[in-house]
Amino acid sequence: MRVFKKTNFNFIKHRKVAYIISCVLLVSGLVSLFTRGLNYGIDFKGGSEVVIGFNKPVDVGAVRAILTSAGVNGSVKQYGKDSAVLLRTDFHGETTNLKALITNALASRLQGNPAQILSIQAVGPSIASDMKFSAIKALVAAMIGILLYVSIRFEFKFAAAGVVAIFHDVLTVLGLFSLLGGIFDFMPLEVDQSIIAAFLTIAGYSITDTVVVYDRIRERVRGQKPADYERIFNESMNQTLSRTIITSGTVMISVLVLFFFAGPAIRGFAFAMFAGILIGTYSSIFVAAPLVFDMHKRANSAIKLRGA
Amino acid sequence: MKNNSFKLILIAVVALVSVWSIWPTYRDYAFTKKLGSFRSGEDSLKYALEHRTEIEHAKDKSLKLGLDLKGGMHLVMEVDLFDLIEQKAWNKDANFYRIMAKLRSASGNSSDNVVDLLAAEFKKENIRLSRYFYDIRNTDQEIVGKLNKESQDALVRAKEIIRNRIDQYGVAEPVIQTQGSRRIIIELSGVTDEARVRRLLKGTAKLEFRLVKEPELLLRTIERLNSAQIQASSPQAPADSAMAAAKPSEAPAASAATVADNAAPSAAPKAPRKLSDVIGVMQNGLVFTPDYARDYVASTLNREDIRALLPQDTELLLSAKPLQTEKGEKYYPIYLVQKTPELTGGVITEAKATFGAQNSQPEVLMSMNEEGTSKWARITGANIGKQIAIVLDGTVYSAPVVQSRIPSGNSVINGISGLDEAKDLEIILKAGALPAPVRILEERTVGPSLGSDYIRSGLLSLIWGFTAVAVFMIVYYHKAGIAADIALVLNILIVISVLAGFSAALSLPGIAGIVLTMGMAVDANVLIYERIREELDEGKSLRLAVDAGYNRAFSSILDSHVTTLSAAFLLYVYGIGPIQGFAVTLMIGTGASLFTAVVVTRVIFDLLLGGKFMTEKSFG
Repeated sequence: MRVFKKTNFNFIKHRKVAYIISCVLLVSGLVSLFTRGLNYGIDFKGGSEVVIGFNKPVDVGAVRAILTSAGVNGSVKQYGKDSAVLLRTDFHGETTNLKALITNALASRLQGNPAQILSIQAVGPSIASDMKFSAIKALVAAMIGILLYVSIRFEFKFAAAGVVAIFHDVLTVLGLFSLLGGIFDFMPLEVDQSIIAAFLTIAGYSITDTVVVYDRIRERVRGQKPADYERIFNESMNQTLSRTIITSGTVMISVLVLFFFAGPAIRGFAFAMFAGILIGTYSSIFVAAPLVFDMHKRANSAIKLRGA
Repeated sequence: MKNNSFKLILIAVVALVSVWSIWPTYRDYAFTKKLGSFRSGEDSLKYALEHRTEIEHAKDKSLKLGLDLKGGMHLVMEVDLFDLIEQKAWNKDANFYRIMAKLRSASGNSSDNVVDLLAAEFKKENIRLSRYFYDIRNTDQEIVGKLNKESQDALVRAKEIIRNRIDQYGVAEPVIQTQGSRRIIIELSGVTDEARVRRLLKGTAKLEFRLVKEPELLLRTIERLNSAQIQASSPQAPADSAMAAAKPSEAPAASAATVADNAAPSAAPKAPRKLSDVIGVMQNGLVFTPDYARDYVASTLNREDIRALLPQDTELLLSAKPLQTEKGEKYYPIYLVQKTPELTGGVITEAKATFGAQNSQPEVLMSMNEEGTSKWARITGANIGKQIAIVLDGTVYSAPVVQSRIPSGNSVINGISGLDEAKDLEIILKAGALPAPVRILEERTVGPSLGSDYIRSGLLSLIWGFTAVAVFMIVYYHKAGIAADIALVLNILIVISVLAGFSAALSLPGIAGIVLTMGMAVDANVLIYERIREELDEGKSLRLAVDAGYNRAFSSILDSHVTTLSAAFLLYVYGIGPIQGFAVTLMIGTGASLFTAVVVTRVIFDLLLGGKFMTEKSFG
């Protein structure tokens, strides 16, 4: 079976269209980031999360009313299935009181449907700000690492375009999280540690497809004149199109399985990965390689590539 | 073909080592199943005893499950190094306390080194550290060095003491580590009574014997506080206000004193305005606060401006256990005690939880070392007829009147609410006092039922992930797809065996990492196969096309693996807890796929090509 057997798209000619699409994506994401902001999870905001399970399906509104009247202030949402809810409230260093309060209130007011606390997570503000800081450090370090590695393996312009593409991917996904955050009940799209894990994995993986295209360009560009670059870039991209899409496709399969089967704790991560791989595939074809082309065209220089 | 025998041996060794490493996990599972299948408990016990060493060996070497899958507690605690520094300082004046308060609030949101912060602040204020610390002749640098050493010691000591307490309480395989300059990470699996564990960990266990001041002085002090119209501060923890709000019915409507007039039940849920509203005085001179206001009073009494109003070298402390009226209302006595302790817990050598002889209430008996014994004899001898308060972590457990001189070095803590608490006290007294107070910064607790939910969804995603990827490869690449799937199986085996072999725990994010790895591991095969198809299209022979495919795709494969591996490595370095589990499986899986997807499939093709089992059609 084959998809994209022999394609002949003129990617370079239409690159400006792709640039405009990317700019629209980025700008709308940025606007949303500045106006709507992000929905931070407790990892980055601090606070407590309690998952309460019931024997039978339960009305979230009723649970909310009971907890509010018991003096527990916070948000109550469905968690995964019908018979579990997620309570989000301020940070409690001492969760014993909170736990007692919840169990007592629910036991006395919901007698037919015994409740059980399934898990408690409490993150203090100092830890939360630490986590934020190390998340940023990790992302910056990943970008620098990739910039260095690709510079060594190819050349600096290739590396710079690759990192711009990664930046593009991560920012777009972040914008998506800001735009869609809190809209869906089954996936709150909160930015927590697992989303940072997704961003780093996207950063590491986004360059995979890009490198495949770069590799082909490097193979074909040797000894050619800069005037032929447009044709070579186009041919290289068309020749690698099929593998770019199939490699992303297999990872996409895994991510979709995680989204549907791995439960609510992993869903936000799976969504971020899905969006990230989709955009990463797009950007390696429509952003990274065209940017390299433009940089060389502007500098009017020949591509001097290292490596095999 | 020449080096294929070497590759074959290598693959066989890797596969065997993987199976050998996973074998105990299977045995452990089989034993658990077998033990569960016996009808009577006796049979099961008999079988367990007969196969004891094998079962224990299997359990020891089997794949460990993470806290989220097994159920358990993950705690991050912070040692209050500011408290330690305050203990070390002398000549403390208002200026010193001002700087410390400033530093405390400034450092609340960071994990920077406390001693460095202190040094920087003193430098900014142009005060030499030697004014408050150690010897006046020391330079700032020497003092910073000494304080740093003290803080490191304190952290290590705190870790050891916490380990001691947990060991005595009895938790299997606790993980206790220090992190940075002032944090301790504690992981406990299968804990059922979290509240008790938390209490056990948090108590500083600072035991003090302090003189109680005369009742007249206490009354005069309370009058002075009342006339100063102190505004009660808001309680420290939001939970406490929730607790108070939840129990308006317990507000004492008719306690013997001033409380009744001002704090009517309806007003109780709100924060009391004045301290005088929630402190009552009884006919017999007992000063108290009602149950609902305890936390407000406790935090208000700790305030600097209140302390300034107290007589020299005294402190107001609350009782640990409430007294109860006939109507069931609870109230906590307040004591005025000497600030300097007569004796501290360092002299305690032995502690034992028992029931008291007279009222069969739980209590803890303590004996002291020689130095403590002679001091205790002198103190009790000099204070016959007076009260001595037994203070643990800032609350008064009991304040017995000294009847006679005690020469034996024995003392007793009563005022304990239950036998569990008495046992916990015994544990923490034996383990010794923490060098400085600790508080909980982060807590993640997963109950066993949610854990088994996670296991189920984890297994489901593994099975579906593998099936989907494997079927796709066969549909898209036919026979070559089968080779990639065989490599994929070996890849998963390697990941699990490395986890089991290095005793790393498998968590739900770890399973997500494996599922994701499955999608990424076959990428290398996709790159190779696409290249082979291309070479075939150019009219090369099958063998040449396979050779060229592997050789030419390798550079992209290497690049993509290096980038993914480095991202996962950074995630491991900067991430914590659950995310590290993901990073670890992603790293192992990606690393292993470099071997399985490139070497293993190549050997399979070489063998098949030699036996003429493959044609141009085999690559789909």
